[in-house]
Formats: sequence, C-alpha cells, structure tokens
Amino acid sequence: MLLSQNLINEALWKASSTGADYAEIYAEYTKSKTISMVSSKVDKIADGVISGVGIRIFKGTRCISGSASSLSGEAVLSCAQKVADALLGTREMETIVLRERRFGDIHPIHIVPSSVENTVKIDLLREACESARNYHSDISQVTGSFLDVDHNILIATTEGLLAEDRQIRTRMAVSAVASKNGENQTGSCSPGGRMGLEFFELHNPKEIGEEAARQAMVMINAGYIPAGKMPVAIGNGFGGVIFHEACGHALEASSVALGQSVFTGKLGKQIANEKVTALDDGTIPNGWGSINIDDEGTPSQRNVLIENGILKTYMIDKLNGRRMGMASTGNCRRQSYMFEPTSRMTNTFIAEGTDKNEDIIASIEYGLYAKSMGGGSVNPVTGDFNFAVNEGYIVRNGKVCEAVRGATLIGKGAEILMDIDMVGQNLERAQGMCGASSGSIPTDVGQPMIRVSSITVGGR
Amino acid sequence: MNYQEFKKSVIKYASENNLNDYELYYSKSDETSVEIFQKEVKGFNSANNLGICFRCIVNGQTGYASTENMTEEEANSIVLRAIQNAKTLESEAPSFIHKQGDTYLTYEKEEAKIPSAAQLVDFALDLQSELYKQDERVIDGTQSYAGYSSSEKAIFNSNGLDLVDNAAFDYWYGMAIVSDGKEMYNGIHIKSGKMDNFDKAEIAKEAVKDAIETIGYTSVDSGEYTVVFSNKVMASLLSTYSSVFSAEAAQKGLSLLKDKEGEMIAAEIITLTDDPLYKEALVKATFDDEGAATAPKNVIENGKFTTFLHNLATAAKAGVKTTGNGFKASYSSPVGINHYSFYINPVKGSLDDLFEEAGNGIYITSVEGMHAGANPITGDFSLSSGGFRIENGKKAGPVKGITISGNFLQLLKNISSVGEDLKFNPVALSAHRCGSPSVLVKGITIAGQ
Repeated sequence: MLLSQNLINEALWKASSTGADYAEIYAEYTKSKTISMVSSKVDKIADGVISGVGIRIFKGTRCISGSASSLSGEAVLSCAQKVADALLGTREMETIVLRERRFGDIHPIHIVPSSVENTVKIDLLREACESARNYHSDISQVTGSFLDVDHNILIATTEGLLAEDRQIRTRMAVSAVASKNGENQTGSCSPGGRMGLEFFELHNPKEIGEEAARQAMVMINAGYIPAGKMPVAIGNGFGGVIFHEACGHALEASSVALGQSVFTGKLGKQIANEKVTALDDGTIPNGWGSINIDDEGTPSQRNVLIENGILKTYMIDKLNGRRMGMASTGNCRRQSYMFEPTSRMTNTFIAEGTDKNEDIIASIEYGLYAKSMGGGSVNPVTGDFNFAVNEGYIVRNGKVCEAVRGATLIGKGAEILMDIDMVGQNLERAQGMCGASSGSIPTDVGQPMIRVSSITVGGR
Repeated sequence: MNYQEFKKSVIKYASENNLNDYELYYSKSDETSVEIFQKEVKGFNSANNLGICFRCIVNGQTGYASTENMTEEEANSIVLRAIQNAKTLESEAPSFIHKQGDTYLTYEKEEAKIPSAAQLVDFALDLQSELYKQDERVIDGTQSYAGYSSSEKAIFNSNGLDLVDNAAFDYWYGMAIVSDGKEMYNGIHIKSGKMDNFDKAEIAKEAVKDAIETIGYTSVDSGEYTVVFSNKVMASLLSTYSSVFSAEAAQKGLSLLKDKEGEMIAAEIITLTDDPLYKEALVKATFDDEGAATAPKNVIENGKFTTFLHNLATAAKAGVKTTGNGFKASYSSPVGINHYSFYINPVKGSLDDLFEEAGNGIYITSVEGMHAGANPITGDFSLSSGGFRIENGKKAGPVKGITISGNFLQLLKNISSVGEDLKFNPVALSAHRCGSPSVLVKGITIAGQ
C-alpha cells in the first residue's frame, strides 16, 4: 500500500478534528515515460515519478483541500493539519472505521510498459515514424512519441472506504508534415488504450504512421473551404469531440451544480434531437478513458446521459452531488494529487442510430463532410463551442468531392444537439486528453457518422 | 529527507557511476487560494508541490529522469534511469552542461508580503459582493477568487554552477455571470501582482462589463473585413505562434521561418522584442533553465527577422551564441526553447484612432480554441471569435458566432497600424508571456451567417 493503515487513520483523524463531516486522503505514485522521435531518431526521453498526497475535507458544501509532494508520514500529517486548520470548528466525527474494499480490475494488462526496456518501445515508434516518412516524397518531417503511464492510487475516506487502483496506459502519437510550394500541412494519428504493450498487437505501428502521412498529403493538396452556414456530415471516432465539447462539459456537475450550465434544471426534458442517445461509460474494458474506481473511490458506471433526446442524468462527483442532492455517478477525476478533483468525463459517446452512412452523405446537396476532427473547446455558461476539422471534403449533390482545409465548426451546444438529425451505424471511439480545472485526463470521445442540418463553418 | 540531503545523495550516486557532466534542477511552488460562491467560501486550497530533475551526459547524449519523492532510493534511481535513457538516445544535437563564467543581469527585487488565509477570504468575499452590486442582471453562479502563489527554482551542476531564483505574487479575479432572462453571459477580469495595488470595485466592474457588453449580439455576413485585433487577442495569437521563432523548431523542420533570418517577414511597423527583465513583469529571469545568462533582444526589427531564440544546443548547431532561452515546460521536461516577456512594440494612437482609421469593420476582442483552430506548423488559423462592429469609425454593437481565418505570417505582413496600448496576457506565475498593442489588419476572412 502507498501509505500504512496507521498513517491513514491518523491523518483522517487529524483532518476531521475541526468539524469536517467528511475527510478524504488521495495518495499517488505514478511512473511515466515519454520517448520522442524526430526524423526517425530518438530525440528526447522524459522519465518521471509523480508522488504525493491530496487531502480534502467537506463541511456541508464547503470544501477545503491541500496537497504535498511527499508520501512521508510527516508530510501527510502536516498536510492533514493544514487542511483542518482552515476550518474553525470542533470535532463532530466520533470514530473512523476503515474497511478495505477491492473493486477488482476489469482492464487486464498483459505487458506492463514500465517493466519494458526503452529499445522495445523505440523499435515500435521507429516503425511508425518511418512508414509515415516513406509514404510520399512530399512528407518533409515526421515527429512521434511513445507514452506510457503507470498510475497507482489509494483513496481512504471517513465514510470507511479504503481502496486502491492501478491505471496503466499506453499511447503512440505520430505527426507528419507535408510541404509543397512553401506551404506546410500536418496530419496526425494518436491511438491509445488502458493497456500495456499488447496494444500494438491490435494497432499496427505502420498503419499509425501511414494514417498521419495520408492525412497530411490530403491536406497539402486541398484548397480552402469557402466560409458559410451549411449542413455537415461528421465522421465517426474523433468526430465525437462535437458531443464532448458541445454537450459533455455542460453536463458535468461542476458547472451544473453552480447554475453555470445551460443544462441546469433540464433533467427529464428534451435537450437533443430524438435521434440522439449519448453515454458516458467508464467501464469499457481497456478503454483509454476507463477507470475501475473514480478518484473519490466510487466504482465507475455506465451512465446514459441522453436517451432519445431526453436528459437522463449529469456526471456527478460527491461534493457537487451534495449541492444537487444527487449521488455520485463515479465521475470524479483529477490529473494528479496536486489538482482538486471534480466531475469529469470518461468515455463519452453518441450511441449508434438507424441511418445508413451513405444516406447521410446522399442527403447533402451542398455541405461539408468532416471526416476527421481536431480538438475544440466550449464555454459551458453560454454553450458557445468551436472545433477544428483536420480532414474535410466538400459534398456536392450527395457525393463526396474535393478535400478542403481550414474549416472550423462553431455554434451553441443547446442548438446543435437539436440539429443532429441523422445518426449512422459505425460507432467508433477515439482518444484524447481533456483539460479542465482538475487537470489533463485521458478521455475517449466517440460516435457513428452523424449529420448536423446546419452549422457555421469558418473558412476563407 | 530535505532537498540539501537529497542533493548530497544524488552527487554521491553520480560519482559512483563515474558521471562527469550532470545537473540537478529543483522547482518548488506554494499556492493558497480561496473560491467564493453566492455569499460563502466554497473552496479553500493550499498546495505545496516540488519536483526534481536529474540529467547527465553519457556518450554525448543527455539522459533525463525526475522525481517528486525525496528518498535515498529515488536519489539512486534517478541517476540510474537518466543513464539508461541517455544510452538509448540518438539525438544529433550536441549536449551541454553549462559552465560558469556568464555575467548575469541583475534587478531590484521587492520583498513579498504573504497574505494570511483570513485575509484572502475577506478579500474574495468583498470582491464577490462588489460583483453583485454592479448590475441587477448579475446572477448566482458568479464567483470570485483570491490567491497567493510563490515559486523557487534552483540549478546545480557538475561544473560548479549553483543558481537560485524565486518569485511571488497575489492574484484576484472575478467571474461574473449575467442573464437577460433568456440567455446567460459570462465575463472575467483578472488582476495579478501586489495585492496592495488591487482595486476590488474595478475588478468587479470590468468582469461584469465583459459579460454585459455581449448582450444583444448578432452575427455578420460572411466576407472579407478590415479588422482591429484587441491587444489581448493579438497577444494570444502571438503566444500560439511563438514556436515559429524557436531555433529548435526550425532545425527540426517544424518552423515556417526556417532559413528566413535577415528577411522581411512582417510589416515595417513591426518590432518584436523578447525581454527577460521587462520592468513590469511579475516574474523576471536572469538565467534560463540550463543556467545560461538571459538578455533582451529584438526578434523582428522594423519587419526584418533578426534572430531565432536559442538554447545551448541549437546555438552550437547554428554556430552562434545562446540567446538564453533554454526552457523546461515543467521541471521534468527536457530542455527546449521559450521566450520571456515577448511583445510587439507599441507605436502610436489609441484604440479610438484605430477605429477611426478602420472606418467600417470588426473589432475582435475574443478568440477561442487556439489549441485546435490554430496550427503553429502551417501558420493557418480558423478561430471562433467575438467582438464588436466598427461603424463610421466608431465602436458599435456586439458580434458573436463568427470565425476569423488566415495565416499568421501573412497577418504579420498585413498589419497596417499598431496602437500604443501594449498589454500582456495574464498568465500564472511565469516569466514567459506575450504582449501586444491593438493592431489594424485589412482583408481578414470572417464566416458568419
């Protein structure tokens, strides 16, 4: 265990000494390694250990938290004291009885990456980078990285919970630059999973490299899209970033509980087109955004957020749950002990619908087919979102035509959800890092191909 | 184990492993912050964090390993891991552990006053009530924050270099949410520096104004427009594209400015300066993240690209002297390159003068999604934006739901006027930030309705 049970007991006792009605210790020991490659040569390696403790106490809906970069008894107790000192009451809790709970691991790891020497990872990365480089003579540069994380956490609370989890993740990212006539365009591919090195039995490094190069080549030969409002077909996989940004963030209790979301008070109401069913599911075996337990120790769940357009639930953590009078949905997450945890997404996606992909394209007289999406962002208060199209094509008379660059889609979350009027059948998930107040965490986005009847497309 | 004890152990293990060239980098940060919701303290956080990175040269390659766990075992482990990593590297860049002998700039440092927790709570509560006082449309969800942050970094190496620097500052901000009965709007205003200089009423007023100004917004027709970029927006564009000025990006074929030193890359009116000791910067840097002395310099002078930003490795490769821009994104990161206070020099004229000159066009005051819609390698941007119309030389009604697009290098060439209102984007405790005055650019493509 990361901390001895005696130390945990003593720290919880100290943290709750000034009237807290809940105290929680989160201890972490994480090993991470990033190997970067430039021009098929290993350029840099970052190799780190992150370790420390984060302590929180609640009094009603008030939260006091602290963190320290050490797992020593002295540091943990001093952090507990510091947190307690910020609350000026007297002890309310009489006893604390911890019961260890083992939730099991639904994400088997065959080859633990932190136990594998660099050379094995370098060979895999080189294969990907070289296949990108050899894809076409216009590919002028390729950069790649191999990332693996071995994240060990312990959570103990005055509710009596004592639980641990080990979260192992592996990811490869390749970015290719195509150059022609003094212009550059980029393409990238960066799959990952809550898996060990066996991930590359499912994802061939050569194909990862080729996909990055293919995208860069399509874009270097593309023209710019004319700006305007039009219907858009959004491809599967990373296309799901539209739901993540346009809706997901605004369904997180951190903004809903404070009335900072457009979806506050909308449970049971229609917020999306009836074609839309969307889920957040942290229990997908070996999924990039999957967890056994969240960072408050609540087991992860499969949460149906929207069913046939009706809002069913939010993504909730314990603290915001108190304000909302609702139970945690197992969505409390933090990047590390340094960050205060809050409600976040895991694997969030739009479920398969009944439309055929070819019918979606055929339905568009003039519009955009956004085959591959980049990242985006949202203002949860106003619902204004934006995201970038990495690979797009003009659709004319129901046919996919020439490739176009520079497209950005913008709109309002509440409006776009109503405008998703066709949902296809090729659900796929893709990996991303989601940044918010509790840090950068791995999340999956996903969807089958969908059609948005009208959206503003930025271009030139 | 404290840092001095840990350092001793690391030196012992380095010598046991016959290392001649190595460095220990230490960084520490302490932060206390308070968050108000409605009329109460919602959150109080106190964080004490540190990290240590060891790097060493083996066979001409620099291996790195880092930890946050100061134990005897880890002291040994970071030395061994760094050696292991060095052995698998294939970088063509030369490796350096910096030598003594630089002349470091100096500046006068003010003593930091640490606010008590109770003071922070009082300030934030006062700010919160100021926010509600500003306008009857201010609703719950509005929040205020106050915090104190301090940091320290130290570099020690096998050449006897032993440098320490620290910084501290206070910050307050108000996040206002207003409702016109149909929609919600939010605004924010941040103030950082010395608490004694903060004006609660001003922060509250600006945050609420930021939210209210956008009520009643409309979109515009798609087309080409004359645009005034606010100082804040131009500074954040500069920040997004600052990597094009990195020698490392250029040497790796990832910068559009590769081989363009000495060429005109911007309008003649543009001079771009990198100043590690900019007088109003909250955090200044006299040495960079590999211990080399820093210095102010112009990167663009009257439109001409004069120099890339260098660290020791890129400078050696280019056959020049380092510009003192060696940078670690976090203590655990390998050394790369970054700017300090990096800004477009102010010229003349107020914002109103720029509106006058624009005649009719759009004043852009916000851009979103920089990490997605702006690509530093291609220079292209297509960004969700908001702002105001400019009609007959005057600021008019609010605009939202539009995108602006173009190419950053093309934009630098197309700037026809630069104002005098230089402003830096407030970034957390960091010596690395960008600034710009408002600028006037013709022929920007805007997508609207």
